[in-house]
Amino acid sequence: MSHAEHVNGELPHEPEKATLEGRNKVLGFWLFLGGEAVLFGTLFATFLALRGQNNEGPTASELFSLPITAAATLILLVSSLTSVFAIQALHRHNIEKLKLWLIVTVALGLGFLGLEIYEFYEYIVHESFNMKTSAFSSAFYTLVGFHGAHVAFGVVWISLLIAQLYRKGLTVVTAPKVYVSAMYWHFIDVVWVFIFSVVYLLGKVG
Amino acid sequence: MAHAHAHSHSVKRYTGIMDWLTTVDHKKIGILYLIAGGFFFGIGGIEAILIRLQLIKPMNDLVSAQVFNELITMHGTTMIFLGVMPVIFALMNAVIPLQIGARDVAFPFLNSLGFWTFLFGGLLLNLSWIMGGAPDAGWTSYPPLSSTDYSPTHGVDFYTIGLQIAGLGTLIGGINFLATIITMRAPGMSFMRMPMFTWTAFITSAMILFAFPAITVGLVLLSFDRLLGANFFDVAGGGNPVLWQHIFWIFGHPEVYILILPAFGIISEVIPTFSRKRLFGYSSMVFATILIAFLGFMVWAHHMFTTGLGPVANALFSIATMLIAVPTGIKIFNWLFTMWGGQIRFTSANLFAIGFVPTFVMGGVTGVMLASAPADFQFHDTYFVVAHFHYVIVGGLVFGLFSGLHYWWPKMFGRVLNETLGKWTFWLFAIGFHMTFFVQHFLGLLGMQRRIVSYLPNQNFDELNFISTIGAILMGIGVLAFLANVVATSRKPVGAAADPWEDGRTLEWSIPSPPPEYNFKQIPLVRGIDAYWKEKMAGNKEMTPSEPVGPIHMPSPSILPFVMSLGLFIAGLGFMFSTEDFSNSFMSLIFNKYIVLIVGLLITFAAMIARSLYDDHGYHIEVEELEGEGKA
Amino acid sequence: MTANQSSNANEGPTVKHRHRVEGPEKHIVVFIFSIVLTAIAFAAVAAGGINTAFTIIILLVMAVLQVFVQMGYWMHLKDKGHLMPILFMIGGFFVASTCIVMALFWVWW
Repeated sequence: MSHAEHVNGELPHEPEKATLEGRNKVLGFWLFLGGEAVLFGTLFATFLALRGQNNEGPTASELFSLPITAAATLILLVSSLTSVFAIQALHRHNIEKLKLWLIVTVALGLGFLGLEIYEFYEYIVHESFNMKTSAFSSAFYTLVGFHGAHVAFGVVWISLLIAQLYRKGLTVVTAPKVYVSAMYWHFIDVVWVFIFSVVYLLGKVG
Repeated sequence: MAHAHAHSHSVKRYTGIMDWLTTVDHKKIGILYLIAGGFFFGIGGIEAILIRLQLIKPMNDLVSAQVFNELITMHGTTMIFLGVMPVIFALMNAVIPLQIGARDVAFPFLNSLGFWTFLFGGLLLNLSWIMGGAPDAGWTSYPPLSSTDYSPTHGVDFYTIGLQIAGLGTLIGGINFLATIITMRAPGMSFMRMPMFTWTAFITSAMILFAFPAITVGLVLLSFDRLLGANFFDVAGGGNPVLWQHIFWIFGHPEVYILILPAFGIISEVIPTFSRKRLFGYSSMVFATILIAFLGFMVWAHHMFTTGLGPVANALFSIATMLIAVPTGIKIFNWLFTMWGGQIRFTSANLFAIGFVPTFVMGGVTGVMLASAPADFQFHDTYFVVAHFHYVIVGGLVFGLFSGLHYWWPKMFGRVLNETLGKWTFWLFAIGFHMTFFVQHFLGLLGMQRRIVSYLPNQNFDELNFISTIGAILMGIGVLAFLANVVATSRKPVGAAADPWEDGRTLEWSIPSPPPEYNFKQIPLVRGIDAYWKEKMAGNKEMTPSEPVGPIHMPSPSILPFVMSLGLFIAGLGFMFSTEDFSNSFMSLIFNKYIVLIVGLLITFAAMIARSLYDDHGYHIEVEELEGEGKA
Repeated sequence: MTANQSSNANEGPTVKHRHRVEGPEKHIVVFIFSIVLTAIAFAAVAAGGINTAFTIIILLVMAVLQVFVQMGYWMHLKDKGHLMPILFMIGGFFVASTCIVMALFWVWW
């Protein structure tokens, strides 16, 4: 019935049950993302309420540099596209391409994290802008840091899935996992769209 | 594929304590929730009685002011997050899959994880009593009172981190029930054929999904303020304490609807059964539930009328709050019309359900009074508010839970609770409840503030407080009667009929009590609302199956949820004490350098990785085994 | 087993795919569209001199458009069988936006 049997080389005895588990996983993850939307919504609300409270510390427009933000945005946007390609490869059962695109996605995620760590390092060491500086700094590090932690989690998660694809191949068990991780990655990118707009660009505007 | 594996793998099946630690069976998890929730309910109850004993007479000195603050904080926090929420989850676990004709929940593993994270979060919170002082800033933990300046002990850290972990468990449980109800319903059970309890569980889970992330963020911000020196709520650093109030109530108000909706669902099951009538106005019930949930997210600032938001905001939130009385009123009338002309049986379960209706109406009416912003300036922070929310939470929710426990006890344990003791429970609890809280309305109107440790004599507070305390003791005796009932019943042999009330309407009554681990030998075909009743009326003894008898796939038990939660518990302790000045150099090394925190997180992540790497093939219950167990 | 087919996501290799797997062209178009929207937002800020309120409107419109397109195409929300995901994402965004309203209007006065 499904393509998975060709990948597996064996016919599932109960393909509809395997299907239900996979479908539950995708649906459950959507529900989780609905909750994540509220989580980030609350963090954005906190940031918006406190973004002007620099407490004699650096302000947003003094701090942010558009080129770094633009680079980070480009990296994350491209990684979202590569994870689309990964899912397309998955739908074609082209496991080699699937692994390749996932590896590219992880690499881009690492690049994004590197940029973010560099940015935070600059702020903390050279601008003496840390968690304790002001309400603005606390809100900035918490919002952007939460997003960064999500990226880091996604990098580890997708890496583990790549390892599983090497070991187990593409099966009805691994496929939903990969699909769900791609949803997660897109969602991270969606959150970043709001971060660069609301935190960085709006910060530059003042 | 799974089938083939199940033959080659022999799945480990545990017994004894390991069975309970590793179970992924929703019925057993329901029992675990009930035991843990009952335990915390007991702790919260003892705290309540201590509070009342302190207030029994003016200028009493049973407990110190500090201990009193800890008692009121822990009473509220424990009762809401660790007492009634888990008992709601107990009933949802025990009943929902059976009501929708499913063999399991959508995510059995996550279900177990949700329980263990809740339990470890609750244990962490209550450890505060023996580890340097419980939280003392009220269950709302408003800064600046909850800041390190005014709450210098680790009490509030136990609050933020314990609730964080417990809240994670609740969120997981909510997602699980949403997915279960969306995808696992038996053939023929459309959304508009679902039993009312399933509907309310669905809406409650959706509210959990959208409300708990807000408190997750709030607790993160508060713990960052306290442990990392952040400035979210610290005015000196540019922060704003009002922000906490908003975030807390954006979660907190939906939370009270999260609590009450399942009680509405329980009442909507019990009253029709014991009236031998179908629920009056089913679709309006569904509509009212959804409307209450929606409005529940739009009214949070009515907790903040006196904060100074201004007349526009106060008017908006005032009107939105009063609107909620409309769908709630629809429900009240539906229950009354269900009883109207029915053959009412006054079983213990039904006594609690019928008692719920007027009690909850009283709580609702004071709610509308409080919704009026100008009047609220008088009521705010008085015992009037205390009376109001105990009328809806105890008189509403706890009555509902007792009703549900008496009603579904035979389904959960195979034994019917003793009716005589059940009626004693009801009368003691109901009379005690009204004695405790009815007089508190007047205490509030007379000007007695909430959260005060003592009061001066001759302000007309003395007699009312005395009555209130006696009532609280009566409620305590009522709970003891219930415990005695549980103990006495557990000594009886398992022998409840599948449909012990004889008028069961929904699918859970069509299978044995307690159900086999796979629930339904054959998934039933649902042909209408109140599916089992419909079959009975058509002259059938059993449900019509929707599938032939076949091998049933079951998930394997796993210890990993326990390990993940333990890791979070350790990490929580590590984070909490990271700023502590230890005299012991080893302790300061492992805590101040975040080693404990990292070890805890590593344990959790290792368990998550193990879960991801090793596929759970589960096992099968074969047809011969099913036939061997006789009728199902 | 499930009675409600419409509520289930039908992705993954577990479900029968009668139709040919779509090509990458559509997604590249979405990508280019996203890049353009992002560039407009950055340009509006980098250029400076534009009225602040107008800039904010540009930023918001660009962000919402981009999120809409990405969730529709890359997260497949525009495909059939996504009723429940759409409902729950709308719910999440709705509650998130009440938080934003709170932050903008009711924290400082």
